[in-house]
Amino acid sequence: MAELRLEHIYKTYKGGVEAVKDLNLTVRDGEFLALLGPSGCGKTSTLRMIVGLEEITRGEMYIGNRLVNKLEPNQRNVALAFETYALYPPLSVFDNIAFCLRARSVPKPEISQRVKQVADMLDITDILDRKPAELGGGQKQRISLARALVRDPDVFLMDEPLSHLDAAQRSHMRVELKRLHAQTGRTTILVTHDQLEAVAMAQRIAVMNFGVLQQVGTFDEIYNRPVNEFVAGFIGEPPMNFLPATPVREDGTFLLVAADNSFRIRVPESLHERLERSGAKKVDVGIRPIHLEVVDQPADALEEIDATVATFESLGEEGQLAAVVGTQTVLAVTSPLLRLDRSDAVKLRLRPDRIHLFDAATQAAI
Amino acid sequence: MQNERTQNRIVAILSDVILILYFLFALFPLVWMVLVSLKSGPELFTTKFIFTPTIENYVAILFGDARAAAGVVARQEFPRNFMNSLIASSGAVLISLVVGVPAAYALARYKFRGKEDLAFTFLSFRFAPELVVIIPLSVIYRQLGLYDTYFGIMWVYQLVTLPLLIWVLRSYFEDISPDIEQAAMIDGYSWWHVFFKILMPLVRPGLAAAALLAFIFAWNNFMFPLVLGGSNVQTVTVASLGYISSAQGFFNRMAAASVLASLPQIILALSIQRYLIRGLSFGAVKG
Repeated sequence: MAELRLEHIYKTYKGGVEAVKDLNLTVRDGEFLALLGPSGCGKTSTLRMIVGLEEITRGEMYIGNRLVNKLEPNQRNVALAFETYALYPPLSVFDNIAFCLRARSVPKPEISQRVKQVADMLDITDILDRKPAELGGGQKQRISLARALVRDPDVFLMDEPLSHLDAAQRSHMRVELKRLHAQTGRTTILVTHDQLEAVAMAQRIAVMNFGVLQQVGTFDEIYNRPVNEFVAGFIGEPPMNFLPATPVREDGTFLLVAADNSFRIRVPESLHERLERSGAKKVDVGIRPIHLEVVDQPADALEEIDATVATFESLGEEGQLAAVVGTQTVLAVTSPLLRLDRSDAVKLRLRPDRIHLFDAATQAAI
Repeated sequence: MQNERTQNRIVAILSDVILILYFLFALFPLVWMVLVSLKSGPELFTTKFIFTPTIENYVAILFGDARAAAGVVARQEFPRNFMNSLIASSGAVLISLVVGVPAAYALARYKFRGKEDLAFTFLSFRFAPELVVIIPLSVIYRQLGLYDTYFGIMWVYQLVTLPLLIWVLRSYFEDISPDIEQAAMIDGYSWWHVFFKILMPLVRPGLAAAALLAFIFAWNNFMFPLVLGGSNVQTVTVASLGYISSAQGFFNRMAAASVLASLPQIILALSIQRYLIRGLSFGAVKG
């Protein structure tokens, strides 16, 4: 087990495509970190560089205190569970798991003992004699995890491990993987595009986009204090609403006036100082759908905006409202018991303590 | 109920009969060849199916004709021709394997300029009739000193055997996920080890089927050894011509030679039959 440290890592492919730019990231010893981002964000390139399947264009990578830039994959003592499992079809399950131990000429009794141990841990003892082709997706997944774990790696990486499983297996494996991490205490990196997986399993999440690391932190940090509009919109389901507005001082109150004049709301006091300091001329007001409340009795006009119902869906446990504010459409999560029809006028209250402001020019959080 | 069962029975019997008829039709040339090879001279041009079989033709082509007929068939060289065919065909297939397996792998795995053109060029060896290239080839062969050598024949057979092997194996390699190779590299194996331990077993059905077909095509080739080979490397296909002279046609001996010459192919095909069907469904196989 060891800490993994990436310092100013760049990956540039032939033809000049910059997949990863100036990546600085430390995965602590024993930590479970998720590398999260949309496809093409550079997370897979990062993973492949850590494993050693892809050369590092620039920067330094350390596992423990070893500089691993020039080391071959097998010298790095890392393990990767592939998205496609990549089991060896001609070999039995036992031989698949034992393959890497044989490469290191581990003595036979120790091999069978270690294979048995991980097989127990992953509950695959009864299929050790079978060939991978005879097995289902969930079982193959377990074998690929067993194969990765049996060698006792310093860093354990998983590439979209759940993407080929059905919904029931997926939620089951999420719990399993978390248990496995708790049990082995290994430094683990999960690469995924699915925020639910990242949130459910990882202790910290690193969000990437366009080859650049956007933010690293616990779910709480990323969800409540996103550093920019991308992270704010990427984390959370349904995604955060953004409304363009201009900060204005009027009669001693600090207001946000919609770009299309459809609303005027008060700037929450906690944001006054930061907004002024930023000097942003135009801002995007960010509010999550669950922090947008439908109000029956108008109370404070400077916390509420007028909207027109576009669609309302009752999803059983909650209702989802799409409403038009000026030229924008916003989403709100409501009680399922509301009865709203198309074109109804509604008042939506933005919870002041939940308002995020972003500089419209840089998209960075204020 | 009773009716239905009778009907099913009739359908089953009918389809059996049709299959047997087709079987007879398809096998008839072979059967006729065997019959002819067992006939003696006087019966040769009759259509009798009942006759006294003789093995004198086989004895004649294998051990020489005691009653030495005049002319071309006086010297019996069938065993030598047979060995020539065996050496040339297996040599050609071996060279194709050594060259073709890596080529197929490279075409399946790597991106490089002109890759598809190169692959197409290999395939195009099979487009042109042999007659088109045989004259220039023969001139080149004589100048290079390859005329009438085993290596020369094996080399020219690559035109026949190599494209087949490359194209069948390429689709096999394409079906294997590169992840498997990378997984093995992380596991600490060299590329060679992975290639022989993991990849080769996966492409074996295709390899067996393609190699067999290549062997048969090489074995049956007539034009190349006829023009590019002399007496040193004369193959059975070319030698068969020798049974017909202006004076007499020894069709029964020719048939006996053909029966013996087709034995290696039949034995090979039977021994790898289980790979054949899977192997020739060209990469439609999933591991």
